[in-house]
Amino acid sequence: MGYLDGFRVTFNRLFEERVTTEYPQEKRPKPERFHGRHVLNRYEDGMEKCIGCELCAGVCPAQCIYVRGADNPIDDPVSPGERFGYVYEINYLRCIHCDLCVEACPTEAITESKMFEFSFANRQDAIYTKDELVVDDDGKPQRQPWELWHDGDDALTSGWMRATAPSGSAAHVGQVGWSGELGYGVRSPELGQTAPSDDDPDGGQG
Amino acid sequence: MTDLASASEVNETGVNITINGVRVVAPKGELVIDAAERNGVYIPRFCYHPRMEPVGMCRQCLVEVDTGRGPGLQPSCMLTVSDDMTVDTESETTKRAQEGMLEFLLVNHPLDCPVCDKGGECPLQDQTLAFGPGESRFVEEKRHYEKPIPISDLVYLDRERCILCDRCTRFAKDIAGDPLIHFMHRGNETQVLTFPDDPFNSYFSGNTVQICPVGALTARPYRFRARPWDLAEVESTCTTCSVGCRVAVQSSRNELLRYEGVDIESVNHGWLCDKGRFGFESVNSDQRLAGPYLRDVNNSDQLVGTNAALEAAATAIGAGRGGGGVGVIGGARLNNESAYAWSKLARTVIGTDNIDAQLADGLSAQMVLSLPRATIADATSADNVVVIGTDLKEELPVLFLRLKGAAQSGRIKLTELSLLVTGLSKHASASHRYVPGELAHAVGELLASNPQLASGSTVVVIGRPSAADFPDEVEAAVGVLTAGLPLATFLPALRRGNVMGALDMGLSPGVLPGRVSLDEGRDWFGSVWSSLPGEVGLDTAGMLEAAAAGRLDTLVLLGADPLADVPDRDLVERAFAGVGSIVAIDNFVTESVKRANVVLASTAFAEVGGTTTNLEGRVSRLGQMITPPGTARADWMIAAELAWRLGGDLELESLAQIWSEIEAVAPSHAGCTLEVVEAEGAIEGVVVPIPKSPDLAGAPSGPASIRWSAPALAEPPSVDGYSLRLVARRKLYDAATNTQMAPSLANLAEQAQLMVHPGELRRLGVESGTRVNVTSSRTTVVLSLVGDAAMPRGLAVMGLRQPGLAASELIDLRAAITELRIESR
Repeated sequence: MGYLDGFRVTFNRLFEERVTTEYPQEKRPKPERFHGRHVLNRYEDGMEKCIGCELCAGVCPAQCIYVRGADNPIDDPVSPGERFGYVYEINYLRCIHCDLCVEACPTEAITESKMFEFSFANRQDAIYTKDELVVDDDGKPQRQPWELWHDGDDALTSGWMRATAPSGSAAHVGQVGWSGELGYGVRSPELGQTAPSDDDPDGGQG
Repeated sequence: MTDLASASEVNETGVNITINGVRVVAPKGELVIDAAERNGVYIPRFCYHPRMEPVGMCRQCLVEVDTGRGPGLQPSCMLTVSDDMTVDTESETTKRAQEGMLEFLLVNHPLDCPVCDKGGECPLQDQTLAFGPGESRFVEEKRHYEKPIPISDLVYLDRERCILCDRCTRFAKDIAGDPLIHFMHRGNETQVLTFPDDPFNSYFSGNTVQICPVGALTARPYRFRARPWDLAEVESTCTTCSVGCRVAVQSSRNELLRYEGVDIESVNHGWLCDKGRFGFESVNSDQRLAGPYLRDVNNSDQLVGTNAALEAAATAIGAGRGGGGVGVIGGARLNNESAYAWSKLARTVIGTDNIDAQLADGLSAQMVLSLPRATIADATSADNVVVIGTDLKEELPVLFLRLKGAAQSGRIKLTELSLLVTGLSKHASASHRYVPGELAHAVGELLASNPQLASGSTVVVIGRPSAADFPDEVEAAVGVLTAGLPLATFLPALRRGNVMGALDMGLSPGVLPGRVSLDEGRDWFGSVWSSLPGEVGLDTAGMLEAAAAGRLDTLVLLGADPLADVPDRDLVERAFAGVGSIVAIDNFVTESVKRANVVLASTAFAEVGGTTTNLEGRVSRLGQMITPPGTARADWMIAAELAWRLGGDLELESLAQIWSEIEAVAPSHAGCTLEVVEAEGAIEGVVVPIPKSPDLAGAPSGPASIRWSAPALAEPPSVDGYSLRLVARRKLYDAATNTQMAPSLANLAEQAQLMVHPGELRRLGVESGTRVNVTSSRTTVVLSLVGDAAMPRGLAVMGLRQPGLAASELIDLRAAITELRIESR
């Protein structure tokens, strides 16, 4: 019967579950710790988390991050403490989304969203400045016209669980590692973590 | 056999000790911490600094030491080696002690490393990582203070971060001699503070930032500008003054951000003055001249391309060459190579000997080049040091530090002869005053009353005491000195950055490169240079007088601002009015540059490499770190371009090629090849002339070095009982362009005022601070008159170039002294 065998395979597949997604109208769900475009987070009171310490720029293997710090204005501070990120730029033509910047950040200011689809019409658009990276007043990433955002892409963007607690203390393993974020509050614990207890109000931040 | 001999030799000067099981020999008196480091064992430390006396404050360098009485913990920075000592830096006890110290230090030290300027280059960070316990058992709240408080205009103090190592306070007290910061309170509350209402206004405050082992002291100009891993670094030599301190120039993204002192034994011991350390701000200034411009007859500026500007400059110089003459003023800002290029351009292409790197405010070039030269090392180890004239603290601050340190340790006997009490006076064994115009007589009296100066080695540091006096008196005084102390060596205290290099390269009338006079060097240079001017030219004063009389067509200002710097403003005004055209080559549009017809932009420090020469004659490398702004060019390139447009050719192609020509042509620089200057371990530079090796003694050499004979002793000027004699002194911070263009330094300059003894105030019947009319032979000005008991009677003291009013308005360059009449208004 020859060629009819081949048609039978095709015919049988018609009744099976379809694996194709209609990208870009729909996206497949991403792993929770997917490395997409970065955001710069803010505290629940609206202050920026970035302190301009340049550790992300120092660790970046692609050298795509440019940061400069400045003295916080006393009457209208941008971030808690003395110093804030005055300039913050990421060049997405260079970024390899390795997430070392997120790992290095001492204040969890920089995290990655699940959005990786951006197409630039020019090289300048590929350099994201602080205005574009910092989350909006609701704690959600700002959507640029050339980016493909779907609902849900911005979920779970602004938190990151380290392998150890920020203090490096092994005793804190198993507790919720992240602090409160604008738009998200304090997260619920992940698998294997316990919720912050009353006598450790900072959630194991050390 | 030889091993035995050397071992017994060592035993006389050294002792045998065991460090971590290895037997080593250490010289007697060496500290254990140094002996260990020399043998490759690093002992952690915070308070110990090799250039300061140990105090044993931090206890971090505890190691287990056995001197025969059993092992015990001892601070290795307080313990000198002794025979058969056993040191164990890796024992369990040592480790526990060091971990414990770090844990204690971190009890109160905040972990704000990400926002701390020291983070990334912090000894506390590094040593905690290398020697620390890794975990802290302290959970208590840390000590809190107000975050950084300014303790001076330049330095911030963050008391939370301080670990009380005593480095800054020891530096301020022992090294700088400005004990303005001190420990206060007791126990847990101990903190470093200034005295109330008395800020840490030391000329050396930046050094405390550099030696702070944590981020407690930070510098305002560098605060939050970059992190250590941003910085690219090149080693260079500071050209703020002629001491030539070795610096590490650090930049990020083509912008200078910081200078750090590099420790070299022969010059700066790692210290810098604040003017040098923070002077980089003027290089970054947005007021830098970024390109050439022309000024037309309507006094309007016209930006032009480099070619058009060079053409205009060549036309102006060509007109002067064909007509009334050309004069070149300035050149102490240039590196050696550019100075040589300009020397060659003036002599061979322009055909003039009218060239002078000093602005009538220095010393005779013939005298400076012919005197037997001392090094700073000589001056800090001689039996006697005589400092004549200048206030080294204000003019050459790091030389002041070195001499002060040597005097304090008792190594040298310091004698001072000056117009006023200087920064060095209280450290001198004897400090004498003299009256303006009578320096030579005062030197004669000094020699007569101090016969010990003639016995033993004597180094004389001589500078220009006051710009208000005619410099002949300094020459006459040196004549008295050389006659009375024939074996003395001299350290000329000229102030401008590379003025010694400029003089060595012949930027002075009658002087050719290599410390040779025009007449003596005529044959030698005639064979390598295409032509030489026929007769000796004019110095700056002579050029200005010729221009004022209409006998000079073109003035070239080579990084010079005569209106501000020549101590006779009236003469400069007349010269500028009388001269045909002015060509200026500069970094900034200074007052004098505003009067120029053609302006070319040139490079500043760290924008061009090459070499520089300090006051000892030490040739050292300059490092290029950043690119010049706009179309600014190196001065030697401008010289080469001008030569070409004037129909000549300097045959200079690169800095390296220029240096090899200097080495071949200049007799004093023979043997000082680039390989020698750049050799491994030659960060200290090379002092020229390099002594000839004996096997070359018979080889043909160049012309004889320059000679100088002292002028005859003049009668002291007669006393006018109604007048006060003006002393125009230099302060470290003044209205000079490079200071005013550095925002952190600009405000440190004191306003101009006239200081007199309170007795003079009573004689005049005015209160201190009153504004009075001050009349000299030049003009009448209004100044505020301030009483100060430190001022001698009969003198009126003002800064040569303070903001408000420059003393140069009052001075007649040719007068022996400047007398002032003061009247209340």
